[in-house]
Amino acid sequence: MNALRAVRRNTELGLIVLGTLVTVGAYLLASLAEDATIPANIGPFLVIVLGLQLVAHLAIRRLAPDADGTLVPIAGLLNGLGYVFIVRIDEAKNEPQGLAGLQSGWIAVGIVAFIATLLVVRRVRDLERYRWTIGMGGIVLLLLPLVPGVGKTINGAKIWVGLGPISFQPGEFAKILLALFFASYLVEKRELLGVSSHRLGPIPLPDLKHLGPVLLAWGVSLLVMVSERDLGSSLLFFALFVALLWVATERATYLVVGLALFAGGALFAHSQFTHVQERVDIWLDPWQDPKDDGFQIVESAFAFSAGGVTGTGINLGSPTRIPYAETDFIFAAIGEELGLVGATGVLVAYLLMIGAGLRIALRTEVPFERLLATGLTVLIGVQSFIIMAGVIRVLPLTGVTLPFVSYGGSSLIANYILLALLLRISDDTVTREEERVR
Amino acid sequence: MTRQIRLLGIGLMVCFLVLFVQLNRLTVFQAAELNDNPNNTREILRDFTRPRGTVTTADGVVIAQSVPSDDRFELQRVYPEGPLCAAITGYYSFALGSAGVERTYNDELAGRTIDLSLQDIGDLFVDKETVGDLSLTVRADLQRIASDGLAGREGSVVALDPRTGEILAMVSHPTYDPNLLADHNTDAATNAATLLDASPEKPRLSRAYQDRFFPGSTFKVVTATAGVTSGGVSVSEPSYPSSNGYTAPGTTRPLRNFGGGTCGGTLFDILRVSCNTAFAQMGVETGPEAMIETAEAFGFNKDVPIDLTNPARSNFPTDFERNLPALAQSAIGQNEVSATPLQMALVAAAVANDGRVMVPHVLKDVRDVDGNIVDEYDPEEWTTAMDPGTSALLRDAMVGVVERGTATRLAVPGFVVGGKTGTAQLGTEVPRSHAWIIGFGGPPGEVPSIAVAVIIEGQPGASEQTGGRVAAPIARSMISAFLGGP
Repeated sequence: MNALRAVRRNTELGLIVLGTLVTVGAYLLASLAEDATIPANIGPFLVIVLGLQLVAHLAIRRLAPDADGTLVPIAGLLNGLGYVFIVRIDEAKNEPQGLAGLQSGWIAVGIVAFIATLLVVRRVRDLERYRWTIGMGGIVLLLLPLVPGVGKTINGAKIWVGLGPISFQPGEFAKILLALFFASYLVEKRELLGVSSHRLGPIPLPDLKHLGPVLLAWGVSLLVMVSERDLGSSLLFFALFVALLWVATERATYLVVGLALFAGGALFAHSQFTHVQERVDIWLDPWQDPKDDGFQIVESAFAFSAGGVTGTGINLGSPTRIPYAETDFIFAAIGEELGLVGATGVLVAYLLMIGAGLRIALRTEVPFERLLATGLTVLIGVQSFIIMAGVIRVLPLTGVTLPFVSYGGSSLIANYILLALLLRISDDTVTREEERVR
Repeated sequence: MTRQIRLLGIGLMVCFLVLFVQLNRLTVFQAAELNDNPNNTREILRDFTRPRGTVTTADGVVIAQSVPSDDRFELQRVYPEGPLCAAITGYYSFALGSAGVERTYNDELAGRTIDLSLQDIGDLFVDKETVGDLSLTVRADLQRIASDGLAGREGSVVALDPRTGEILAMVSHPTYDPNLLADHNTDAATNAATLLDASPEKPRLSRAYQDRFFPGSTFKVVTATAGVTSGGVSVSEPSYPSSNGYTAPGTTRPLRNFGGGTCGGTLFDILRVSCNTAFAQMGVETGPEAMIETAEAFGFNKDVPIDLTNPARSNFPTDFERNLPALAQSAIGQNEVSATPLQMALVAAAVANDGRVMVPHVLKDVRDVDGNIVDEYDPEEWTTAMDPGTSALLRDAMVGVVERGTATRLAVPGFVVGGKTGTAQLGTEVPRSHAWIIGFGGPPGEVPSIAVAVIIEGQPGASEQTGGRVAAPIARSMISAFLGGP
């Protein structure tokens, strides 16, 4: 078994080095395209990029040595690529905001949070005990931006909280807490939920009282998000909830009912809220108003078509034409400068993460851990899908970040914590397997 | 749970597959359409914020360059000489597109040609400034002389080197200031354009090569060439009868000379006094096929391969069946014959250059930012108007016109100068005509190094002297300035 552990960790190390080379290469190309010089800080840059990942790697060796070895390198690659693009976009602006320094700071904090989570959570099962606290905590975090004085409205969305000079999005952390809550509760009640004591026409339904707390939690979160105008997160939570319900109870009914509820909710939202109508209209036909409302989507399409198959080359495109290029639309910047090839690469990276996450879920035999791993994977997978789909017009645009790539501290830190939890589950599973064998 | 987890995985994969399909649609299948979408100003904006080469005349005057500007384009295209070289530079405008040299050599100015962008292997990795600077054949001093000579009258001046086709000067009035069209304020630029186009004289049209006029008597050079080439005319034969009218077969109305005068004689004589009746007869006797063939050999009815935008085709009618009276009129440059001043300059150039018409062009070479020449315009023959023997004959005939004929004002002492005047009647109520002159000049014993065509439009009166009086002085000043004569 130790041989397998060595293989895992060494593969991880190798992948980290490869990923770093890609990131540094991208940085180099960006600088060459700017003024044909090799950046003076390329050495320190290489050291920092490699160093941060090595610190995480060493922590894994110490704290979760049997964990899956692909998640951290992929996250590192996405992080690095995102960083190069954030720097490139920021410096091309008329008034750079110093995002380079900020993002690298956030990455460092993210790695610290990653290691802290590995340290604090020794056995994931222990978290089950705090189920209600965690659930309440999640709701509170979601409600925080609505509290006057503490909450801030930025770009029409009340999802921010200001603590002195720092703003963060508690919603990003709430997602993980609520995933923990859902997983833990559903595991306990899943048999009860699987039994159908009533029927609504042809559809078998369980006793609603069993579903109660979860429905309540879910309903509250949806309401909160709608009032905060965070439609993307609403969609994400809904997907999380339905997926976990379905996987936990193994009943396709919940999937069908869930989709029906979604359709109903979507239609209701569309009829009631003008900003939903606008989003859908622009999604269906951005060309009706290409200079104003449709500008982002239209420019994003132009960015991809300008990039073609191989892209214009880093720092040789014009991604700053798109508003919010460093957050919501960073995928369009990647599409323009790295082309179909680069964008597909990012797509594949997320698919690999999803694959690793689901593999971890399948491998563990503890139902709670199974459900939790599934839930966490759904969070990353569906979130990345939603924003990429919005950028290329497969779905209406919503304001969620592209995990690990977009600029944003809260998202980065939350996703690293998420990764740590997945790795902890993965490591635990192997440790238990070994104990059984002995 | 296992089954559900697996299904979830497949579901997510399908979702990502949909993303992949859409990515392909955007970057491959719909890419061309998206790139050409009128709302897509990416390329234009990129071009406008990139450095662009400078355009300089042969005598080192900058006539188009990019200077820094404080707006989102960062660079403003300016034309220091303004209207003087507008016909040549054209303009490069965000609102209105481009014209002239800015258009035909856009790739060179933007530095996009292979010659400029890939000079060594390192350039593959780097996006360095590779703009090309254009050196033109046009001379600013000659432009000024031409412009001053026109003195605000509607007309054009074209001067070129018969040996290479290099255009030395090309001016037409009225003209426009390209700086107005290159204004970054799109409203201002569009308004300026609308104002220009509303004027009936069409200042944006470069009449020197984009507009056509009756050539009048200057066309007799072509008729003479046709006569000699077909074998029907020589120095001494035939001697046309002294007459004041020529009646072509198929009509009863005679064609008259200017002012009802009488003239006749051999080739040199009739060219010297520009005898309508004799040339009308020559045209009819030479026959439609030979006339058409010769006209086309000079470049009529053909697209001029000049390196500027939208040149006009000069026209010689091709249908004379049962219409010999039309042929008679065509032979003296009326009826449906129309020529650009450039074409008439090429007629003179052909006579000067042993019958070979070279491709007219304004570009001399393209240089990179370090001043190295990366591309040169190689002079090329466009068409052959006549054989060298015939051209020698015509040269002597045209020299005779300057020495003792209607074009004495063209003479420059110490140099061999040949020419032909023209007065193209416009058939208006109050007689008006275009005053023309074409000619060439050079040091004795050498191939003439300059050919000129001048037209002043719509002059009062319709006398044979009009061309010689009005147009010749301008042409003379061009020839003299170029050759360095008195």
